Formats: sequence, C-alpha cells, structure tokens
Amino acid sequence: MSVDTSNIAKEGGGVFGWLDRRYGLTPLVEFMKHKEVPVGVHSMFWYYLGGATLFFFMMQVCTGSLLLLFYQAGESTSYESIRFITTKVPFGWLVRSMHCWSAHLMIISLVTHMFSTMMLKAYRPPREMTWVTGFILLSLALGFGFSGYLLPWNELAFFATAVGTDSMKAVPGIGDFLLQVLRGGTDVSINTLHRFFGLHVVILPLVMVGLVTAHLLVIQRQGMAPPQGHKTAPKGMRFFPDFALRDLQLWLMCLIVLASLAVFLPYGPHIPGIEWELGKKANPLAPAYPGIKPEWYFLWIYQLLKEFPAHFLGMEGSQAAVLLVGLLMGAWAMMPWLDRRAQRDEASPGFTDIGAATLIFLGFLLFKAWDIGGGGIGDKLPDPVLTARICAFWWLGIASVATALRATVLHQRYFLFTAATALQIALHGLLGMQYLAAGGIALVALVIGLLVLRSRGQAVPEVRS
Amino acid sequence: MIGLLLAALFAQTAAAAPAPAAALPKPLAALADGKHKDGTPILTQKQRDTLAALPERTIKLLSDAADSMILGSPEELAALLSLDVQPQVLDLIATDNCVLCHADPMNQKPKALFSPDPKAAGSNPLLNLRELVSDVHFRAGLSCAGCHGGKPSDDVMPKEIATRWPAEEVRHTDRSWIPEFCARCHSDTQFMRGFNPTLPTDQLAKYKTSKHGELLLEKHDNNAAQCVSCHSVHGIRSAKSRNSTVHPQKVPETCGKCHADPEHMKGYLTSAGAPLPTDQVEKYKKSVHGQALLVKGDLGAPSCTGCHGSHAAQPPEVASVSQVCRRCHAQNGMLFDSSRHKKAFEEHKWPECGQCHGHHDIQKPTVSLIGNTTDTLCGKCHAENSKDNPKCNETAKHFRTTLDEMIAGREEVSGEVEHLAEMGLDIEPVTRSLSDLDEAVTQSKAKVHSFSMSTFDAAAKPGTEALQKSRQEIGEAHNEFQFRRRGLVGAIVFMMLLVAGIGLKLRELERSRKDSDKP
Repeated sequence: MSVDTSNIAKEGGGVFGWLDRRYGLTPLVEFMKHKEVPVGVHSMFWYYLGGATLFFFMMQVCTGSLLLLFYQAGESTSYESIRFITTKVPFGWLVRSMHCWSAHLMIISLVTHMFSTMMLKAYRPPREMTWVTGFILLSLALGFGFSGYLLPWNELAFFATAVGTDSMKAVPGIGDFLLQVLRGGTDVSINTLHRFFGLHVVILPLVMVGLVTAHLLVIQRQGMAPPQGHKTAPKGMRFFPDFALRDLQLWLMCLIVLASLAVFLPYGPHIPGIEWELGKKANPLAPAYPGIKPEWYFLWIYQLLKEFPAHFLGMEGSQAAVLLVGLLMGAWAMMPWLDRRAQRDEASPGFTDIGAATLIFLGFLLFKAWDIGGGGIGDKLPDPVLTARICAFWWLGIASVATALRATVLHQRYFLFTAATALQIALHGLLGMQYLAAGGIALVALVIGLLVLRSRGQAVPEVRS
Repeated sequence: MIGLLLAALFAQTAAAAPAPAAALPKPLAALADGKHKDGTPILTQKQRDTLAALPERTIKLLSDAADSMILGSPEELAALLSLDVQPQVLDLIATDNCVLCHADPMNQKPKALFSPDPKAAGSNPLLNLRELVSDVHFRAGLSCAGCHGGKPSDDVMPKEIATRWPAEEVRHTDRSWIPEFCARCHSDTQFMRGFNPTLPTDQLAKYKTSKHGELLLEKHDNNAAQCVSCHSVHGIRSAKSRNSTVHPQKVPETCGKCHADPEHMKGYLTSAGAPLPTDQVEKYKKSVHGQALLVKGDLGAPSCTGCHGSHAAQPPEVASVSQVCRRCHAQNGMLFDSSRHKKAFEEHKWPECGQCHGHHDIQKPTVSLIGNTTDTLCGKCHAENSKDNPKCNETAKHFRTTLDEMIAGREEVSGEVEHLAEMGLDIEPVTRSLSDLDEAVTQSKAKVHSFSMSTFDAAAKPGTEALQKSRQEIGEAHNEFQFRRRGLVGAIVFMMLLVAGIGLKLRELERSRKDSDKP
C-alpha cells in the first residue's frame, strides 16, 4: 500500500499535518478512534493484564539498558560490575532491584494473562495465533529469566545454572549436544556466561520485540476477543482514549508497586527462587551446597524431576520427566486446536476445569519444591513425607474453596479434572503413596470419569451467570 | 498404556542373576566351589565376585597356595575374600605361609587363629586378621617373621620362633623387654632408612627418660605403658592414619585407657604427693583445645602429647609448663616475660600460664577474667596477694572497660549491619571497619599479658577508632535509607496525582459524551 503524495506540498495542519501528508496517518487515527474493547460481561480486569505485562516488559528494556551501561561480562568483571552498580552507581541499586522485581512481576502478569485467556476461551477462532505468539512470548520470558540469572556470576546463580542446564541432558537423543551448546563446553564456565549474556541482551530481545509486535498487531487487527457466545461485543469501550487512559492508570499503579518493592525489599522477598542478593562470587572449583533451587517459575519442573525414580518405563527417570514436561507444554501451546467446543464457539466447561486443575497441579508442585511444612530449619533437612502432607492440606483446601466458588458464584458444574488432581494430591500427601503412583491412579479415575460422561452423551454444560 | 504405567510403578525389580564365575585354576576352583554340609556354597556371591575380579597374578598366587594346601579350606578362602582389601594385600597374604596357616579355621585351634572376627571365632582379640592386614609393618613386607622369627616361606614352624623374647611365663609378667625388642629395628638408623627415612630413631632413648620408662625399666612396673600399650600389637598404623591409636584425635582416648581408669591409676602420686587424678581426659574434652581437636578437627590443636610429649612423656613442672604453652602462644609468652608479673610469679613459684588459664580444662578466655572487682580473676588474686596497689586496680579496670566498650559496640553495629544489608544498602565500608575492630580486640586481649596500660592502649586505639568510624558509616547508611524512603513517597504522591488526574479526565470525557448524547 502506498501513500498518496499528491498533496505533499500543501501547508498547514502542524506537525501532524506534515507527517500525515507524508505517511498517511489519518486512516490509522480513524482506526484507533473506532477501535473498541468489549465490556459488560466479564470483569474488565482481565483485559488489562496484557497491557500490564507489556508495561513490565518495557520496564525491563529500560532498566536493562541502564544496567548495560555499567555491566561488563567476564570472569573477573561480572560480579564486580554488579557490585559496583549496586554500591557506587547513583540509583544503581534501584535500577537493578527494579529490573529483578519487574522480571518476576512480568512472569506473574504473563501467566495470569495466559490463564485468563484460557479460562475465557479467548483463543478460539480466529485468534489461535494470538495464543500461539503469547505462548512463545511466555517461553521467551522464561528464557530471559534463565539467562539473566547467571549474569551476576555469583555462587547461587552459578550452581542454579549448573543444575538447570544439567536437566538438558535428559532430552532424548540430543541431550548431551544441547547441554554442550548451552554451556559452551561440558561444564558451566565463563563460556556459558558469555553465551547467556548474548542471549539475554541481543538474541532474546530481538526475537521478543518482533513477537511482541506481531502479538500486538494481530490483536489490533482482530480486536480484543468478545465474550464467548457473542460474535461481537454487546457493548464497547473506546480503546482510545478511554481504555488507553485506564491502561495508563494501571501502569502508574504498577510502577508504584514496583518502586515500593524495589525500595523496601531490594533483594526480593527472601523466598527460594525469588531472591537476588549478590552473596559470594562464583567459584567453579567450590563444591555445590545443598538446597540450591532454580527460580520459582521453574520449580514445578524441578519438583517433577525429583518425583521420578531413576528409571521409568525403560527410560531414565529424568528423560521421562522432561518428556512429560514437553508433552504438557505442547498441549498448552495447542490449546486452541484441542478445545473443539470452543472452536465451535460453544461452552467448553472441560477446558475451564483443565485450567483450574492445572493451577492446582502447578501450585502443589511449587509448594513441595519450597518444602512448605517440611520442618527443614538450619542444618535439619525437611521431611519429604511431612512436606507432602502439609502441601496436600494446603492445596486440597484451596481446591475446595475454589471449587465451591466456581459452583456457587460462577455456577459451573464440571469438576472432573480438578477432582482427579485433588485425588492425586490426597493419595500422595495424605496416604503417603508415591507421587507417580498416585498420578497413575488419578489418571485411571479421570479416564473412567470421561468414559462415563461420554456414555451419557456429552459433558455437563457450563452454566453461566 | 495406563496398565503398563501402573505395572511399571508397582513392579518389583527382578533379582539380579548371579554373575558367571570366571575360569579359575583347578586348586582354587575346588576351594571356590566348596559347599557346607547342607549343600549351600561356602563363598557368598559377593566373595565369588571379588574372586572373579582379582588380577591374574593374585589368582595364580592364591592357586599356588591352594595347590600346596597351605591355603587349606574354602572357609579360609572365604575369610580372605571377606577382608575387602586391594589385590596387592592379598598377594602379600598368599605368599606368607605364617598368615595362611594361622588364618585357616579348619586346621588351626581358636587360640592361635587369625580371624576377621576373633570374637565370633572364639579367638584371641589380638589375632584380628583385618587389623593384621592393615598393619604398617605387614604392608611394608615385614610379615610375621619380622618379629616372631623364621621366614614367610617356611612350611613348618622352625625352632627359632619365639626365642627372640623371654619365655611365656616371664614375658607377660614383666614387659620391660618390649621397648628394647621394638628398638632392635626402630633405633637402627640404617635399617629404618630402608622403610621410612623420616621416622625418628630416638624413641627408646626418649622412653628411658619418661615417667613410663622409669616405672617399667627401673621398677619393672607392668602397669606402665610401653610400645604396644599405645601402638597396639598386630594392627599398628602410621600416626597419620585416622584409624591409628596414636593419630592426634585418638591420643586422648589412648592415654585415657590408663589415665582415666581409677583402678589402673591407683597408688600413683603427683610430685606433691597427692593421688594422681583421673579426670584429665574428661576435662580436656571440654577444654578449648579438646573442642578444637576433637570437634572442629583442627589437627594443630594440642592433644595430651602436645604438652607432655609422647615417647618422653613427663608431667610438665612449674619451670617447663609455660614453655609448653609458648610453643604456640609465643607472643603472649614474650609479653608476660617483660611484664611485672613475671617476677611476682617466680617468687610465688606459680606456673605462669596455668595459674590463670588452668591446665587440662583451659577454656576460651573471656574479658570476664579481667577487672578490679573480686568476681574477676585479676581482682580476686590481687585482693589476696597484692592489696595495696591502686595502679594495678586502675590498669585492670581500664583493660576491662576498654574491651567491654569495643565488644558491646561491635554487637550493636553488627545488628544494624544485618538490618541495613537486608535493606540493600552498601555495608562494605562498615564491614571493613568491623574487621579492623575485630583485629584490634584480638590484639588488645593479647596485649593484656603485658599488664601495661600503654602497650594495651597502642593495640586498642585502632579498635576504638574503627568502632567510631563504623558508627559514623551506619549513620550515613541510615540517612541514605531515609533519602530512599522520602524519594519513594514523593514519587508515589506524584504518580497518584497523575492517576487521579487521568481519572478526572476520564470522568470529564464521559460527562461531555452524555451531554452531547442529550437531545
């Protein structure tokens, strides 16, 4: 499409007029003026999460660029330059702290955004690619977290990266090759640091910016997803200025939260996987100490790896675990195509329940990875049986409350997947059964439940308020 | 699929099939295949695996021994394989007829049987086969013949065996022959050079000067320790080995075998004529030295031999006890020597260090020892022995006040540092100052031994300065935190105003739209 340049010599209209004559901005402005956001059925809150994620991403770009002015990747400079940034550079402590906090808040808002999209079935046609680009963006964000963690070159980061990259070995066939590529050698070394630095500041940002642009373009092109059952929104709010100004309000609120956390908890909330105190410089020759854990968003994978025995179904236990993670992530990415009822714009209560069950499944693994209730204090190691029991109490309680709310407030009637997840947690945590054995039984129960539902005709329809 | 999953989860792993036995030479195979009366094999699967994994040379040596019937029974082969030792050690056993013959439970009476478990075999506890094969002499190739006489290749016991020491009825009632017997080799510099050139050869000479030597060699007191009392008999190891009875960490236990036994020590008196106490080891274990050696594993900390000597063990008398302490605490010794206390202690015939710090139960000294009040060590002693000396009281008070101030200041600043570190403030300067303060406290405590105010002050001054500096740095860090908080509040107020402004703008937009919608 080319711009009509016949009236380029005309004068007037100020800067906009000057630009409009050259680049044809009027259609864009017209488009923005008529763009609307659906309102009235669901809480508007869910529509803001994408914008909040974008805000945190922009914060990452800004604070990351500032850090880049002082950070020097190298065996004798990485740790020292971060120390310099936090102690000597004016407001360097604030920039680093905001960068770290913003990274975690971005993942939180991204995951929440994705779950809200899933629960509202916003991925249904024609918005499948919005979901897929979103999924890739989530993977990239996790890649950012993983690569950025090593850059301070401190003890915790070094060993966590060694443990994290080691799980690459479990990828069948090409595991060792992948490990070598990622580490730049057999062990985590300065080569790994340089690779992660390149990934963190060049490769991932380039891909991320491209994909964010694509994600935003498809949203702008297709508009925001109307609530299920409506081809168009029953009522709309103007995107510009109404929604955009509200977005700006939210961004300012996010900035207030971010700044407050950065000032009062500059090294994170001291929860394993959400802390970034510099500590000691990495020493590749020092022995790894116990209790090293990756960042919180990888903890469910870490815990799943621990739940697998040394050998499982003829595979290495870790290989089986990685395969399971791959299958789960693959299924998550393919959700728009798996959810056939949503494709037909019909209620798909089963997938709503899968969303709820996934949250319980991930939450239980996260709590277990944190050894909640295990009584591990000081040198005393947590008791795994006690941890499983206490975590089971927590998550069975949360699942019960959530299910009660879904049944009474949202009038939902489909809880099969939630029930199967709760069954696994109860068998494992309360009866002391092995995690995988409990999972096997829950899976059998789920399949029987699904077969019974199928024999009755179809799934119980979701009742909407 | 699910069935498979469950089957895999609950399936028991099948028991591993026994490894096929490697082809063994006939004589050895005959022993390896030996069975009990009920038909079960004598060698366990693990022992068979050990045998199969042995190198060719060891297999040949064992087979030769089996062929000549010195390795005489499957039970003996099982005992040897159960030792779980390197093949080289099995080579030594297989070429030593003394061990082979005395380790065969089927051909040896329990009284003379070397067994991996003497208690179960009803044998003498000293005839422990495991200990024997770990013995430093055995591993150096000296074998049984080295002490007992004969040759390892002898098929029958020659008459010269057991003629190197007194007859049985004498050698157990008077052990004074043992030091000389061991010294045949250990005092021979030429001989010892062939095994361990760094090992001293003056043990016997020293032993003769020791209290133990005096009791055994002159008074023929059989209760007095000699070589085997400390080093054991058939399981002698290098003192560097953690399993050795004379490894630094084992020394208190070894000495305590006699010295902590009231029955054994009955009748022995100190130089002052009092009964020799038996609580030294108990006290030592609780002392700063005992804790360092036995709990922290600091091999530099002294055990019994660190102060008393080993082969020349003597109770350190008043004259020498302070010299013993000075071996490690040299600076404190020098300061004491140049102090006024030196002369006073000599006049009272007090052991210098021990007078204040104790002996076996020395505790980590704290500042509570120092001061001019009677509840302190200084104050109490001066109240009894040197009342009319106000300068001493003033000095002791000054020491205590200064040290108390530095230590309390350190506590206070440390607590602040932890809090400020959590707040993300730069605590490196304070940490440096605290490190200077710690060094000054250590130095000042040491300089107390000069009992001179000026010497003490020279060491304490950097500490008081470091404390002052760290307090100043803490103040600066607090100011920085206040600045951050105020900055945050300002930023929040500004942003909240923006949020409110946008809210007003939105309301205005809605109102203007409503107005324009009205007809």
